[in-house]
Amino acid sequence: MENMIEVKGLTKTFKSYKKGKGLSGTIKTLFKREVTEIEAVKDISFNIRPGEIIGYIGANGAGKSTTIKMMTGILNPTSGFVKVDGRVPYEKRQENAKHIGVVFGQKTQLWWDLPVGETFAILKEVYQVPDAFYAEQMKYFDEIFELSEFMGQTVRTLSLGQRMRADLAASMLHNPKVLFLDEPTIGLDVMVKERIRKAIKDMNKRYGTTILLTTHDMSDIEELCHRIIIIDKGQLLYDGGIDTIRRDFGYERKIVFDLRYDDAEVVGAILQQMRDEIQGCTPENMTYTLSESQLSVIFNRNEINISSIMNYVLQHLNVIDFSVKDMDIEAIVKRF
Amino acid sequence: MTKTFKRYLKLYGMFLSQYLKAVMHSRTDFLIGFLAFFLIQFGGIAFIALVFRQIPDLMGWSFYDLLFIYGFANIPRGIDHMFTDYLWLLAGNVIVQGEFDRYLLRPIHPLFQIIAQRFQPDGIGEMIIGILLVVYAASKGGIEFTAGKIILLIVMVIFSTIIYTSIKLILASIAFWTKRSQSILFMFYSMSEFSKYPLAIYHKFIRTFITYIVPFALTAYIPASYFLGESSLMESLGLTVSISLIALALGLFIFSRGIKQYESVGN
Ligand SMILES: Nc1ncnc2c1ncn2[C@@H]1O[C@H](COP(=O)(O)OP(=O)(O)OP(=O)(O)O)[C@@H](O)[C@H]1O
Ligand SMILES: [Mg+2]
Repeated sequence: MENMIEVKGLTKTFKSYKKGKGLSGTIKTLFKREVTEIEAVKDISFNIRPGEIIGYIGANGAGKSTTIKMMTGILNPTSGFVKVDGRVPYEKRQENAKHIGVVFGQKTQLWWDLPVGETFAILKEVYQVPDAFYAEQMKYFDEIFELSEFMGQTVRTLSLGQRMRADLAASMLHNPKVLFLDEPTIGLDVMVKERIRKAIKDMNKRYGTTILLTTHDMSDIEELCHRIIIIDKGQLLYDGGIDTIRRDFGYERKIVFDLRYDDAEVVGAILQQMRDEIQGCTPENMTYTLSESQLSVIFNRNEINISSIMNYVLQHLNVIDFSVKDMDIEAIVKRF
Repeated sequence: MTKTFKRYLKLYGMFLSQYLKAVMHSRTDFLIGFLAFFLIQFGGIAFIALVFRQIPDLMGWSFYDLLFIYGFANIPRGIDHMFTDYLWLLAGNVIVQGEFDRYLLRPIHPLFQIIAQRFQPDGIGEMIIGILLVVYAASKGGIEFTAGKIILLIVMVIFSTIIYTSIKLILASIAFWTKRSQSILFMFYSMSEFSKYPLAIYHKFIRTFITYIVPFALTAYIPASYFLGESSLMESLGLTVSISLIALALGLFIFSRGIKQYESVGN
């Protein structure tokens, strides 16, 4: 088979009806309902080959989760279609479910009241995982996710990191051909993130699992994805290698300073002067924002020397702390 | 087909054993629930007894006849209560909060997953009281139970239970369109109280309504009347079976249409 996932002209429009206030409003809405339409996904097409790891990225509300919901059979598209491993997910929902694994980082898929151990025993039955493979998988999950730490606890008592590890293990148990991971690293500390990335890479290497993941964390993308698809306001912006993005946008750096000052206007004036003092500081190459004693400077690394910015700010302002950030997804999207 | 059935049965057993473990853990909850339930039942029976102290019979029905109907009503109600209590939550928050997503992600029928999500032990009490009342009323009221009649009673109970479940399923599925349907479910479910007494005491409109529209009459009075010698087998069993199957088919149809309509939620 050529494509593991095929998405063509995919569109999803949500209709929502305004509810009137009070009794008279309710009665009015019975006769004449005001419809507002939200075009969450607009005419998106792409293909994914077996074994690819794709970063599906975009700002908040771009339509990532909605696309995943159509690819996993939760939602019916308004128009266009999706095929996953040759099946249309929302038409052959149960059959499709056997071959995919899904994690929604924001919400657990596990049974709230069941102990983790029992959850896996039930999933074994649900997906009809053979005994030997089950034992092998559980041993592996225990190594990488350290499940035995909380095997006896009910899902509702788990911490966010533990819950995410359990959710990921659950999505991989039956060795699905395709994994859909919607924000699998949200709210996790660096150690857990690292573990999760390793597991994702491992699955892909060992079984050739096709993986589509969304994240707001650029380092997830850098570490995992060969290819990224960027969407914004429901539309496809970019589909291609990560190298192009790095070349075209990797020059961007952001420094965040924590400042202490009495008069914001004075700080504003000092910053204004920075444009004259540092070479190449055109509004195009350098922008800054000041809010609540936090100063963010975004600049083009190729045009402006980082040390000159650091020097200037440290000399003229009272800096308590600072951090240098990599390019972030929101900034990239804005640039398109 | 049988393989699928066995798999579902095994899965149900796994869920059930977990709930029973959890129930045993919170024994006080269980006892309090049981106690409250007995008080309610006692109230209902006392009411019937009180009425019969004033009048020796009600439109030709004796005290034991009424007790039999009242007892019968509790059996399908209790069984349905035990197994399908989660339908109340489907009508409640499951759809508004996007919880239904998860049922669409597993290779098992979503309705099975909803039903397996909860076991309600309160229903056991209802069922037991029902059985005790039926046996007591039958022996005092002179109803002879042959093996054939016992089997028939079980069959009637099964189809009566299907009616309960189907009515709940239909009304809960409305939530796919309206997001919530708990109040309409509650309103109609309350009508099951009508089924605990002979239909003859009601206005014709109510009689038709609870026989054909929201067919709770088929969960107690109509099947019970056969054993009380008030209607033929065709009238009671025939009507119960055919309407329960229609209701079930309708319930499954509306449920699956609802899934197609399901819009999930944004985060
Ligand atoms: N079930 C729904 N009903 C109505 N509108 C919805 C629904 N789901 C999503 N939306 C809207 O569609 C748009 C896209 O939402 P979606 O959840 O797909 O974004 P996203 O890219 O996943 O964002 P995030 O990064 O915040 O998770 C948003 O405007 C959202 O409000
Ligand atoms: Mg999302």
